[in-house]
Amino acid sequence: MNVALKIWRFDPDSGERELKQYEVDAPEWACLLDVLDLIKDQVDGTLAYRKSCRMMICGSCGMRMDGAAVLACKERMKPIVDRGHVPVISAMGNLPIVKDLVVDMEPFWGKIRAMKPWLDPGYDEVTERERIVSQQQMNVIHKEALCIMCGCCVSECNSIESDPEFLGPAALAKGFRFVGDPRDEDEVDRLEDYNSEHGIWDCTRCYFCNERCPKGVDPRDAIAKLGAESIKHGIDRDMGAKHAKWFVRSAMTTGWLRETELVPKTQGVVSAIKQTRFALELLKHGKVPPPFPPHVAKDVSEARALHELVQEQGRDGALGIVQGERALARIEHTDAGGAKRDVAEITPGEEPAPAGH
Amino acid sequence: MRAAIEAHDAGADVALISKIHPVRSHSGAAEGGINAALGNASEDDPEKHAFDTVKGSDYLGDQDAIEVLCNEAPDDVYQLEHWGAVFSRTEDGRIAQRPFGAAGEPRTAYAADITGHVLVHVLYEQLMKRELQVYEEWFAWQLVIDDDRCQGVIAWDLLNGGLKTIGAKTVILTTGGAGRLYTGTTNAYACTGDGMAMALRVGVALKDMEMMQFHPTTLAPTGVLITEGCRGEGAYLLNAEGERFLKRYAPNAMELASRDVISRAEQTEIDEGRGIDGNVLLDLRHLGAEKINERLHGTRELSMVFAGVDPIHEPIPVRPGAHYHMGGVDTDLDGKTTLEGLYAAGECACVSVHGANRLGGNALMETITYGKRSGRHAAEWALTHTTVAVPPAVEADAERTLKKLLDRTKGERPWKIRDELAETMHENFGVFRREQDMRKQGELVDALRERYKRVVVDDKGDVFNNDLTQALELEFLLELADCMIVSGLARKESRGAHARPYDYPERDDEHYMKHTIVTWVDGQPQLDWAPVRVTKWEPMERTY
Repeated sequence: MNVALKIWRFDPDSGERELKQYEVDAPEWACLLDVLDLIKDQVDGTLAYRKSCRMMICGSCGMRMDGAAVLACKERMKPIVDRGHVPVISAMGNLPIVKDLVVDMEPFWGKIRAMKPWLDPGYDEVTERERIVSQQQMNVIHKEALCIMCGCCVSECNSIESDPEFLGPAALAKGFRFVGDPRDEDEVDRLEDYNSEHGIWDCTRCYFCNERCPKGVDPRDAIAKLGAESIKHGIDRDMGAKHAKWFVRSAMTTGWLRETELVPKTQGVVSAIKQTRFALELLKHGKVPPPFPPHVAKDVSEARALHELVQEQGRDGALGIVQGERALARIEHTDAGGAKRDVAEITPGEEPAPAGH
Repeated sequence: MRAAIEAHDAGADVALISKIHPVRSHSGAAEGGINAALGNASEDDPEKHAFDTVKGSDYLGDQDAIEVLCNEAPDDVYQLEHWGAVFSRTEDGRIAQRPFGAAGEPRTAYAADITGHVLVHVLYEQLMKRELQVYEEWFAWQLVIDDDRCQGVIAWDLLNGGLKTIGAKTVILTTGGAGRLYTGTTNAYACTGDGMAMALRVGVALKDMEMMQFHPTTLAPTGVLITEGCRGEGAYLLNAEGERFLKRYAPNAMELASRDVISRAEQTEIDEGRGIDGNVLLDLRHLGAEKINERLHGTRELSMVFAGVDPIHEPIPVRPGAHYHMGGVDTDLDGKTTLEGLYAAGECACVSVHGANRLGGNALMETITYGKRSGRHAAEWALTHTTVAVPPAVEADAERTLKKLLDRTKGERPWKIRDELAETMHENFGVFRREQDMRKQGELVDALRERYKRVVVDDKGDVFNNDLTQALELEFLLELADCMIVSGLARKESRGAHARPYDYPERDDEHYMKHTIVTWVDGQPQLDWAPVRVTKWEPMERTY
């Protein structure tokens, strides 16, 4: 098949960018990476991009196709060619471009290192066999352990775009990989660290990281899990945590969101007073319900019962977070030929089949 | 990375040089698991592991090396677990173990079907913890030799351009395999045998280079790996008639026979017209959606993306593909080569644990155990010797050679040579080997090496010039192909991966229970032999 691509070239010597179109003849099974290889071989040997495993595990070939981060080895070209579309290929976002499709990954790795990304078992010498941990306990970090560090999520992160120092989805997912690990002894210190400036509460929840992760890691979910674990451990100094806590408090006491008190509860009284004029404007337009007497929902007891249930089941921390669930393993094909989501949690491992069958 | 950690912990000043970021290493693509006699799924012990490995090697493995591996494996796996490796678990919370080909017990510890990925990342975490220096995206090209010692490495800095020299009292080669010699290979683009070729060029011997393993389950057309874990979990191999054809080749072990046996069986079925478009079928359907999603979800993802097949509903078309080089740089039990200061470990080395055929799950284990041993020994040597000298002439020579290549503007670009090499290796030096094909391949490789002398690099720039490094990789591959052919022609028997059904169909222990040894003399391979080290297992007939 004849495949056409437009590629944003970047020449590091001149500093010039140029959108160039290429056309090559490629086999029908070709993925984007195969097409780039054909262009490099047959048309222009100076085209630069990273590659290695070509099977979605090494994380080298992150780049953008039509503005969205992809792994080049995962994108099949045939459906795109059939549509008559000529995709635009460019380097990943939020990282400095070195040449053509190659970005400088050092800012990415710097943030990974900032997470203290190694297990702290609380001892130095190994004196026993493996630790006893159930598969169920390990499943808590299953998705985060799938991360291949390709940088696709960081490329798409809206918060990093506005605050380059934001730790970002990949690093925070790596953080949860240790916070959620029952063998790690450093959970509270980690949560303290991740709660500092540029930490978990700076995520804007745009969900682009979940959407674009090629491995189903769902980094936004990991960030939510870190938030829930922080509050569970009483680390709630950030406005984000206070904001979340007030939702819970509101629901328990009235069954509704007590909006008028939300700002002072989140930002503190002083900060709230500074916004008095804005609040009065809202009041004038009927946007603020009067706080007294509090409006209590008829079935508020149900909200309270739900809260108790969550506590009883130990789902007040990370286990309570069930959100994006983009992991491919969770996509079930139906008889109708489509796919449905939200099947049971996957549980890799468990006991192996008996020998010699 | 395992070697670096051990050397650092032994007190040495360590740096890693890698042409790709360490977590991009192809060990991360290992899926099925790592073999150690933990005994978590059955009664098992290192001696059983050793016997299975000796038998699997078709009695070409060095038995002392195998015993070291199997004895140290359990503690080495526990160490990985304590570092945080996310292993799958048994019901009682221990590391889960699954059955694998040619293993008498379920011995393969695993993390779903991403075991290699999990281990690569846990090792990188330990590197970060120790703040070890990594020269990322430095392409190691030449070894520095002075005073009959290896004293460093000359590398091309991909990000910034230019040759960089690092002096070192000891150098450990851990560059992996050379699967890129073949079109259909499970190996990454990075697997171009760099360490083997670098060692060869400085006079270090390569061992058993004819022994290239073909993995029975790779996806057409590119050779993406489908893990042996599928068969470990109970998958069937079927021919076009829907027959479990292994009953005619390995009636007892069936799908869990060793890889060489199954690859030959598949190729025979395909050659005799019982394949489907050059493939046989790997059927997982009877395992059920739940088991597939739990333990083989990565496999399902690969099948769906690369073959358009959902293994829950359809069998996966698979065929043999080049997978693992049992041969490599000849080392002793501490990873030491014949050259003072130079070590090798992992796939690029040949200690020899795998002999003529490697068992699934033993490669990851070898990287860990022998990585550790070579790291420890290299550190000890470095700490007891003081001087390092990189003669300026060595650097100047390297600069000159590179300049000659970069200055050339007229000639052929490397890719056609690369593709012709890989296609013809597949045809003439594949699962089955014939004398005349191997001879023809020798002539072809010589012709390609002639063409390579006039090769032109398109990119003349400094920044991320992998057009240049890919040309240098091709030169490595061409030289290794020559070594393989010379060794293959000399081994006039069928043993493990070296199958000559048309002229020497039997194993010949009397004449060939010995290693091929190749050294580089005046730009050509020179063949020699070395004895197999036998400790307690005399060769027996090998059936599964």
